[in-house]
Amino acid sequence: MRPFELTAPETVDAALASPGTFLAGGTTLVDLMKLDVLTPERVLDINTLPLQGIDTTDGLRIGALERMSDVAAHPGTYPVISRALLLSASQQLRNMASIGGNLMQRTRCGYFRDVSVPCNRREPGSGCPALTGANRMHAVLGTSESCVATHASDLAVALVALDARVRLVGSDGERTVALADFYRMPADTPEVETDLRQGELISEVLVPRLDWASRSTYVKVRDRQSYEFALCSAAVALDVQDSRIVDARVAAGGVATVPWRLPSVEQALRGAPPTQETFEAAAALATEGARPLSGNGFKAPLLRRTIIRALREVTEEDRA
Amino acid sequence: MTARLDSPLKVTGRARYGSDHNPPGMVFGYVVLSTVAHGEVTAMDVTAVRDAPGVLAVYTPFESLELHTPHNPIMGATWVPLQDTDVAYRGQPIGFVVAETFEQARDAASLVEVSYRERTPLTSLEDGLAAAEDAPPSMDGSPHTVTVLASGVESIEDALAASPVVVEATYTTAPQNHAAMEPHSAVAVWESGTLTVYSGNQGSDLQAASLAQALAEPLSAVHAVNPFVGGAFGGKGATSVPAFLAAAAARDLGRPVKAALTREQVFTATGTRAATVQRLALGAEKDGTLVALRHDSWSSTPMSRAFIEQTSHSTSREWYTTPNMVISQKMVPLNIPPTTFMRAPGEAPGSFALESAIDELAVELGMDPIELRRRNSSLAPPGKDLQWSSKHLDECFGIGAERFGWSQRSEGGRVDGDWLVGLGTATAMFPALRFPASVRVTLNADDTAEVATSGADPGTGLLSVLSLIGADSLDIAPERVTPRLGDSALPSGGMSGGSTATASAGSAIMVAAPEVIDELLTLAAAPGAPFEGAEVSYADGRVLATDGRSLTFGEVLRAVDRSSIAAVGSSAPGEEMSKHSFSSFGAQFCEVRVHRWTREVRVSRMLGVFDAGRIINEQPARSQLMGGMIWGVSAALHEGMEIEADGRLANGDFASYLIPVNADIPDVDVQFVQYPDTLHNPVGARGVGEIGIVGVAAAIANAVFNATGTRVRNIPIAIEDLLDE
Ligand SMILES: Cc1cc2nc3c(=O)[nH]c(=O)nc-3n(C[C@H](O)[C@H](O)[C@H](O)COP(=O)(O)OP(=O)(O)OC[C@H]3O[C@@H](n4cnc5c(N)ncnc54)[C@H](O)[C@@H]3O)c2cc1C
Ligand code: SF4
Repeated sequence: MRPFELTAPETVDAALASPGTFLAGGTTLVDLMKLDVLTPERVLDINTLPLQGIDTTDGLRIGALERMSDVAAHPGTYPVISRALLLSASQQLRNMASIGGNLMQRTRCGYFRDVSVPCNRREPGSGCPALTGANRMHAVLGTSESCVATHASDLAVALVALDARVRLVGSDGERTVALADFYRMPADTPEVETDLRQGELISEVLVPRLDWASRSTYVKVRDRQSYEFALCSAAVALDVQDSRIVDARVAAGGVATVPWRLPSVEQALRGAPPTQETFEAAAALATEGARPLSGNGFKAPLLRRTIIRALREVTEEDRA
Repeated sequence: MTARLDSPLKVTGRARYGSDHNPPGMVFGYVVLSTVAHGEVTAMDVTAVRDAPGVLAVYTPFESLELHTPHNPIMGATWVPLQDTDVAYRGQPIGFVVAETFEQARDAASLVEVSYRERTPLTSLEDGLAAAEDAPPSMDGSPHTVTVLASGVESIEDALAASPVVVEATYTTAPQNHAAMEPHSAVAVWESGTLTVYSGNQGSDLQAASLAQALAEPLSAVHAVNPFVGGAFGGKGATSVPAFLAAAAARDLGRPVKAALTREQVFTATGTRAATVQRLALGAEKDGTLVALRHDSWSSTPMSRAFIEQTSHSTSREWYTTPNMVISQKMVPLNIPPTTFMRAPGEAPGSFALESAIDELAVELGMDPIELRRRNSSLAPPGKDLQWSSKHLDECFGIGAERFGWSQRSEGGRVDGDWLVGLGTATAMFPALRFPASVRVTLNADDTAEVATSGADPGTGLLSVLSLIGADSLDIAPERVTPRLGDSALPSGGMSGGSTATASAGSAIMVAAPEVIDELLTLAAAPGAPFEGAEVSYADGRVLATDGRSLTFGEVLRAVDRSSIAAVGSSAPGEEMSKHSFSSFGAQFCEVRVHRWTREVRVSRMLGVFDAGRIINEQPARSQLMGGMIWGVSAALHEGMEIEADGRLANGDFASYLIPVNADIPDVDVQFVQYPDTLHNPVGARGVGEIGIVGVAAAIANAVFNATGTRVRNIPIAIEDLLDE
């Protein structure tokens, strides 16, 4: 860790006025500072800013500084969101980590986290050792020749499935952006991860009302049962009426460079009966365009199976 | 059952581990590691380091601290850092920066500029197989290849060819790091020519001796203190790099020095378990009788070839009766971090291969795997005359099968919703060993006693065992016995390793206690003493005369004006070794659930039934075995160092080196059959430190096969091993 200056602006305006790196729960930022991956000269502790609150009057509005654990426990949260949160990190981390920080967390690619090796995302143009190295955890969708790192947030996968938007505030005003458009695939600028502009702050997350998302879940497949990132995950919500799937939301994590919405899978589900055949046919479309690396060829079949499992879990009663 | 005496101290944070010592004037050292895996350091530019705030000294191979290679009978030679410019693996200690604070030392260390003449490293066991070498003789002196053939049989190949049923397969196991909670660390203090080192280690007297040799100081000038050790598992058998560097730098600088490895550094700068490849062939009659066994093993070893994981020698050599057996051990020198002892060295990876192969044979024969094991249970290691002193393995399997509901097991497993459920079993064995050990037993005038040895308690419960066996031998309550250990000034307790400490130290107590009681009785009956001329005996902490008079030992000592009397007892393996073979035994049972769609393996039930002789203290003994079994789950499903082609460790931290979390571990059932083995040692205990891990990985793989029909021959087992499309 390098020396840095820490200040705690008291208002949003003050935070936006002074250049620096925002510190929320610190569970990503401090970790990467210890590894010398991030070396900010000025750190702005935003924890006292009024970016709290969970409001369920029309859909869901979550303040960026709400903690993961509080959002997971909130009765107005959709199952897919609370499950994605409860399957993230550990209770201690969830007590510290904020929703804004979660969406802004960096990839877990081991080369990104190790300053003794090249990495295009950390040092543009230096190369990508993951293309030929230890890439079992890496992405098969949305990759490029420059970078194949996965986006690590579970919450973001659930939010993308629910068409969530983020409200951004900057010195020249506010805007809201669909979360699906907020994240950037690496292409040849992997260092640009989001649409967030210099000095902009995420103030809140907005999830449109979707009553049938009460039938939703998040399935996370990983190498141990807790405290580990996804090899593959699926966020699923289904609207089933009279033994027909009326509408569907499906997104995947752990397999792509950004939270990965799967419109073709949703399309294949709409109008079909909630049966194993439907699920298998729909899931087969999930991996179109997948580009496996030397160590992660299993992620394509695993993604199909994870989607099937999630669909089975939300329709257990219908199928019984 | 007695709770561990040190638990309250540990739970409340009052136990002082090595790096909890902060003597006045102490400064901090930070170890610098190589960033290439093979070559030579040609230069180290430390100008910026010297100018950095707080820096007191920078040591490199070019401006080194003089250290000499120490030797001891158990560990052999121990490598000492900074003595030459060779780099044999990535993450090798090549420098040491000392500064006023830890942060200053770490910051300054990041400024070291190292130039290398690089050579191409060889880091993959698979790639190195072609260049494998015969291993040196094993610990017991056996050659790399051992052949036992029935008369008239020309070769093991002939025996296999003549077997009606044959299974043949190759198994692989991943390299591991001990990952003990306490990183390797040391605080070194020189005071009037005497060095005191506080550093977690498996034997304080051995550590003192190796430091004395390394520093070319007389043994009397070195005092090693380690009453608490935060986990060792074989990884703290040798004196650590921080201990050597802190001791030498403290002498050089005239100030106390603390040095601790970071968690990431522990992965390469200490020791690891080797990766192995094992090829097994079993030949049997149709009724399951083993006719031939061949077990060839290749183990990775560092370029120094200092330690070889002996997997076939430590399993197939002894476990089953077979008229024909060939085992071999090869080593594959690689540019990888040092290998060393790790809990059940040899037995843990070896049992994965052997016990998987036995399961494969049972499947091939259509026979219950417990029945197959019973049928081939050995009375003595094949080709040896010395029978097992006390073997109750069949009883372990019997009790286990009953408790675990083994009879409910069906060939293709069972289905529970979307979960495939399977049961697996395996044999566990671990040799019963003893190392030389001495213990001092002291009787005090205040009616307390002390039992003291230099040996270590790396979390095993030795401290409590000293007090219990001491109390037993002195016929007094354990509360009156003060156990002491972890200090090289005490009588030599040797190494806490090889599951030997209870048997070794316990036997020594049983020698010392009668001696000190004899001395007490002599004093009591001496002229002018309370029992002058009388015939006296000892019981219940008292000296008794035939006329019914009695005094406590404290009263006797006070009457003869002695504050204390003491005797030192020693024990070592002796002639029992020429009469029997000795081993502990166990039966491991696991139930796994594999998800039908996403293929995660979850261990849902575990049971181990162990025949380990007399159990001195049941609670810590169960904990030891449970810990071993949980580590077995880790080896089977989670743990493995991923070393890349350039020698970089791809998962050298706890975020990516997976060990199980609570959610991965079900209730663990541990049972004992207790047959004291007094043919082995007077205590009758055989040690429980290591056998718990043995066989678990195979039991899990066998259960996975039962659940899914897929045989996985590598550990850790990953989801992709069980995915077909
Ligand atoms: C051991 C471990 C395991 C984990 N496992 C998981 C897991 O399984 N699943 C998962 O999803 N996550 C996991 N995480 C990641 C964790 O969820 C994130 O670290 C956490 O959510 C980040 O939130 P924070 O408040 O601590 O962010 P900080 O560390 O404070 O900030 C992270 C980044 O976001 C920026 N930032 C913070 N708030 C804002 C804001 N309002 N507007 C703009 N920028 C902002 C910061 O400047 C910084 O760059 C794990 C983390 C650890 C350490
Ligand atoms: S995958 Fe991306 S983050 Fe990882 S090394 Fe390559 S460029 Fe860096």
